[in-house]
Amino acid sequence: MTEAILSVTGLRSGYGRTVICDDISLQVSAGQITCIIGPNGAGKSTLLKTIAGVVPAIDGSIRVAGVQMAGLPAARVAGSGMAYVPQEANVFRALTTHENLAMGGWQDEGRTQAARDRVYDMFPDLKPLARVPAGNLSGGQRQMVAFGMALMLEPQVLLLDEPSAGLSPLMVGEMFETVRRVNAEGVAILMVEQNALQGLKTAHEGIVMAAGRIAMQGAASELLNSADVSELYLGSRI
Amino acid sequence: MNLQIFVNALVNAALIAPPAMAFSLLFGVLKFPNFAIGGYITLGAFAAYTFNVPLGLPLPLATLGAMLFTGFVVWLAHVWVFKPMQDQSAVTLLVVSIALTLILESVVRLFFSADVRGFDIPLERPWKFWGARITREQVEIIACAVVLATGLHVLLRHTRIGRAMRAVADNPMLAAIRGVDAAKITALTTVLCGAIFGLTGVFAGLDLVIEPLVGWNLTIPIFAAAILGGIGSPYGAILGALLLGLAEELTILVLPSTYKIAVGFVIIAIFLLLRPQGLFGTAEIKK
Amino acid sequence: MSAYLVSMATYAGFFMILALALNLQWGLTGMVNFGIAGFYALGAYTSGLLSAKAGWPLGLSIPMAIAAGFAAGGLVALLSMRLREDFLAIVTLGVGEVIRLIVLNEDQITEGPRGLRIEAQPFQSLMAPENYPVFYLGFVAFFVAITYWICERIRKAPMGRTLRAIREDDVVAGVLGKNVFRHRIQIFAIGGGFMGLAGALYAHYSQNISPEVFMPTVAMFIWMSVIVGGAGNNRGLLIGAGTVIMFLEGTRFFGDVLPWLDAETMSSVRIITIGLLLIVTLRLRPRGLLPEPKFTYTRDKIAG
Ligand SMILES: Nc1ncnc2c1ncn2[C@@H]1O[C@H](COP(=O)(O)OP(=O)(O)OP(=O)(O)O)[C@@H](O)[C@H]1O
Ligand SMILES: [Mg+2]
Repeated sequence: MTEAILSVTGLRSGYGRTVICDDISLQVSAGQITCIIGPNGAGKSTLLKTIAGVVPAIDGSIRVAGVQMAGLPAARVAGSGMAYVPQEANVFRALTTHENLAMGGWQDEGRTQAARDRVYDMFPDLKPLARVPAGNLSGGQRQMVAFGMALMLEPQVLLLDEPSAGLSPLMVGEMFETVRRVNAEGVAILMVEQNALQGLKTAHEGIVMAAGRIAMQGAASELLNSADVSELYLGSRI
Repeated sequence: MNLQIFVNALVNAALIAPPAMAFSLLFGVLKFPNFAIGGYITLGAFAAYTFNVPLGLPLPLATLGAMLFTGFVVWLAHVWVFKPMQDQSAVTLLVVSIALTLILESVVRLFFSADVRGFDIPLERPWKFWGARITREQVEIIACAVVLATGLHVLLRHTRIGRAMRAVADNPMLAAIRGVDAAKITALTTVLCGAIFGLTGVFAGLDLVIEPLVGWNLTIPIFAAAILGGIGSPYGAILGALLLGLAEELTILVLPSTYKIAVGFVIIAIFLLLRPQGLFGTAEIKK
Repeated sequence: MSAYLVSMATYAGFFMILALALNLQWGLTGMVNFGIAGFYALGAYTSGLLSAKAGWPLGLSIPMAIAAGFAAGGLVALLSMRLREDFLAIVTLGVGEVIRLIVLNEDQITEGPRGLRIEAQPFQSLMAPENYPVFYLGFVAFFVAITYWICERIRKAPMGRTLRAIREDDVVAGVLGKNVFRHRIQIFAIGGGFMGLAGALYAHYSQNISPEVFMPTVAMFIWMSVIVGGAGNNRGLLIGAGTVIMFLEGTRFFGDVLPWLDAETMSSVRIITIGLLLIVTLRLRPRGLLPEPKFTYTRDKIAG
């Protein structure tokens, strides 16, 4: 395995006194895509929120390029080389596309202009929408704004929570294509997907979560071929 | 129709529009209608009076002092009262904000009694044109309101801090994820709005009188203008203030002027029931 | 001194009825009412005018006050059922202020700021005047008890439970349909009726009513009673109303002890004290003195 850009060990977190995620250990290697699948309520979103600092970690460690993140609030995690795109409400609806991207570069305003040009190069469809409030965009366009915003500070690892949720079947394929494109630029990706088949096909590594713990972990192709996984999560979609 | 009505409506709007914009901004970050603005305005008026009359500072300097002082008090209120209570329901916060207004009003009463006061400014004859009259102070109020509204626009649309203020109002969680210190931005918004309420107190003292109830009497017109324009839409608040001013002036033609305060309420009720998003805003007011 | 305590307790009784009514409305329907002073004034002036100007017996004028509050409550509820609660607060506050303005301005009927003199008092002829205040306290206590009993009955009835369960969830309310809608309006109207009753009781106690009594501050004090006592808990709010009256009226003692304080200063100190009471209570006990069991009001802070 290559060097791990994100390394989580023994992580536990939850809301108030209820523990949701427990004993989570995972590694994301530089430049690789890792996909987390699992049933609804398994704690996938909670895990990403914890890694991003939105939900405080109760125990365990989160290292990004070797630097400890556990215990830091989200605003401090933001500039660490890791960027998180939440499952819902992942754009500022009242702000224009242009302004949303600027918010992505909040921590390093000096780089904003160049970074924004890069994002527009990557998502040319966004360029004509620069002055449109994000609240007026379609689901797919909004998802692109959310991606673009996260990419503004050129993160080494991107956390994506269900990027394909709520998109039309046509857009879903395009979305995974985008994920691959972003990854091709050298950005490691840790994503949660309901669409297990497509998710695992896109990814290098796969993780199956159930009831707040990691149930299975391995190369994505192995998981795709595993009888347990296909029966439980891929179902009729194969 | 009479030109004077439009002049009065314009002066009224100049008085109401800046605090209505500030109220809209404040609602965006705090998410409840803050009745404490009445107390803040009263405080601003009396702070400026203290600097101007007993201490003898010229009015512009007194105004600046009043804005700083009110901003500081509003910041204290944020740190001691509203921030620790941010998990309370909107209604509880609303009750607390009314209590805060009552406290501030009473503190002012303790120090100044309920007498009616005015600033130390030379009396001048109003200017007359086409049968309408307008005082020098009223022209100054209108000019200040225009400058302030433009300034707020530039701040919100074209500066980094202003953009962060709008982002935090829109989605505080995402703002934090993008590295914005949401608590700091909220506090900053609060202080900025506080300074605007302080300035409104000075305007009110110029155009009306300086008395402890001056803020409370402006609260409902301010809410009405903000709701009319669409809550959360600071520009709508300007138009809302103009329309409200006009409606109030027209009412006086048919009803005793004591009913003037009811106009604000009636407009609020009609708009909330029929067009809750106001003229410009997005619907946020229905459940 | 004891006469003073009796009067304080009587005032506490009015506040308790108002607070119970408010809690009935808010606790069961989730609809806030900041027009309490208006309903209170409506009751006071309805019974006061009917007895003082139209010569109606109290046995008729007091029920009319209740009916007026009931009708006004139903109307307000019907009009503003779907408003978000903090904006409903502004609308109801407006209703209260408009009622006060009408009373103030239509002085040919209401006597306006001069105040309306009301001679009639319930069961006045049956006892010596020096015993009357104590009797009236009992009379008010009786109505507090009845109000409390009815409110608890409604709260515990199956419909009350359902209403409480769906209070924060309008989708469910929509699914359950018209029935719930009608019950919510009824409950808001009943609350209005109790407020009218409190107004009538106040009118015949003080025998002189004027618009300045019905300022929005009354709504404030009642809300404070409910919040300090513990929203949703009827026993808690009785304590809350008692506490608020104690601070409001009890601080008059300072006037006896510290004679150099004039009335103006005293009333300012009183308001400051009571405002601080609310803030300090909420800082120390965020859910009030006796919180409501099981159902709590919190806003969802963690976005998805
Ligand atoms: N803000 C919250 N407060 C309390 N509990 C929560 C909160 N958010 C989620 N939970 C609970 O945590 C558990 C895991 O939720 P989570 O959103 O992490 O699941 P998920 O695997 O992402 O599901 P989905 O596939 O539906 O997105 C669920 O039982 C949920 O009810
Ligand atoms: Mg999820």
